Amino acid sequence: MSERIEALDEIVERNQVWPVMAAKYGVENPVPPWKTSLDGLCDALDRAGCAEDVPNFKERRDEEDALSATVYAGLPYPENQLLSLAHSLLSRGIIDEAELKQRLRRIRERLEA
Amino acid sequence: MSDHGHDHDHERTVAPMVDEITDFEVLEIALRELCIEKGIFTAEEHRLFTEFAEQIGPTPAARLVAKAWLDPEFKKLALAEPMTASKEVGVDWMEPTGFGTPSDFTAFQILEDTPTVHNVIVCALCSCYPRPILGNSPEWYRTPNYRRRLVRWPRQVLAEFGLYLPDEISIHVQDSNQKHRFMVMPMRPEGTDGWSEDQLTEIITRDCLIGVALPKPGVTTNVITDTRPAVHPGTAG
Repeated sequence: MSERIEALDEIVERNQVWPVMAAKYGVENPVPPWKTSLDGLCDALDRAGCAEDVPNFKERRDEEDALSATVYAGLPYPENQLLSLAHSLLSRGIIDEAELKQRLRRIRERLEA
Repeated sequence: MSDHGHDHDHERTVAPMVDEITDFEVLEIALRELCIEKGIFTAEEHRLFTEFAEQIGPTPAARLVAKAWLDPEFKKLALAEPMTASKEVGVDWMEPTGFGTPSDFTAFQILEDTPTVHNVIVCALCSCYPRPILGNSPEWYRTPNYRRRLVRWPRQVLAEFGLYLPDEISIHVQDSNQKHRFMVMPMRPEGTDGWSEDQLTEIITRDCLIGVALPKPGVTTNVITDTRPAVHPGTAG
């Protein structure tokens, strides 16, 4: 579970964390705007926990704690929560890394269009 | 003036916003879309849970306590039938999202402070929290540091929040779990005689309802505490 994942390491390295973004643009919200959507994502996953390999609530939180304290220890909250969740889903084979990379590219193109 | 490529005066137009697409924003969308496409959950489920996350906050819990301070009959109801009392402040524990509970929640209890007992809540296992009535948990509540140390050294941890309790007050740490949620009903502080429900609600902060602070006239904000990382929480005893 604690192996590095290149697609996620690239995100960590770019370091567009909310405290940096908020300071750069003079924004005062304490958490990024995607936080409630991430909460919705976690709740929806917890409810779907019976599906094969999808972590249940406790597994998801345990993995988040372990990864936030190690692989993603340099990130603030909730970026460490998001990266830990992505790491869990990739490690468990629910999402494939190549598939994720492609999707990240496509979404960025869409948002920047 | 910001450096993001245009020169209008944000102060005179709209509140400043981050004018840049971050990798984290993109990642959140990507994970969500892929999960939906794989049939793990539906877009509708995600939308409903997100709306739930957006509308919850600590105000219903604060109002419930203020009502209980002012009305002894309501206080009895809150302690005996907390889920019924919650409905009077607009929270239906069995249907907080409009389509069921986010977990396998079954019970909610309100813990009454007395002159000799102070209650504080934690979830030693993960981060279970009475979200329908108290909103999303603060960051520190989720940390292994708080969860592990509060159970062992409650006085020391409460002191880190600025709450120093005399030895004659015993501290009850209530451990939440996925089925059982708790919140604290602190005692009404001195100096609030004649206050309205709205005035009382303002001083019953989220921290008071968790039990890491006591309500005090003039204090309407939560304690700001540094989040301390735990060392190797996955392996330490």
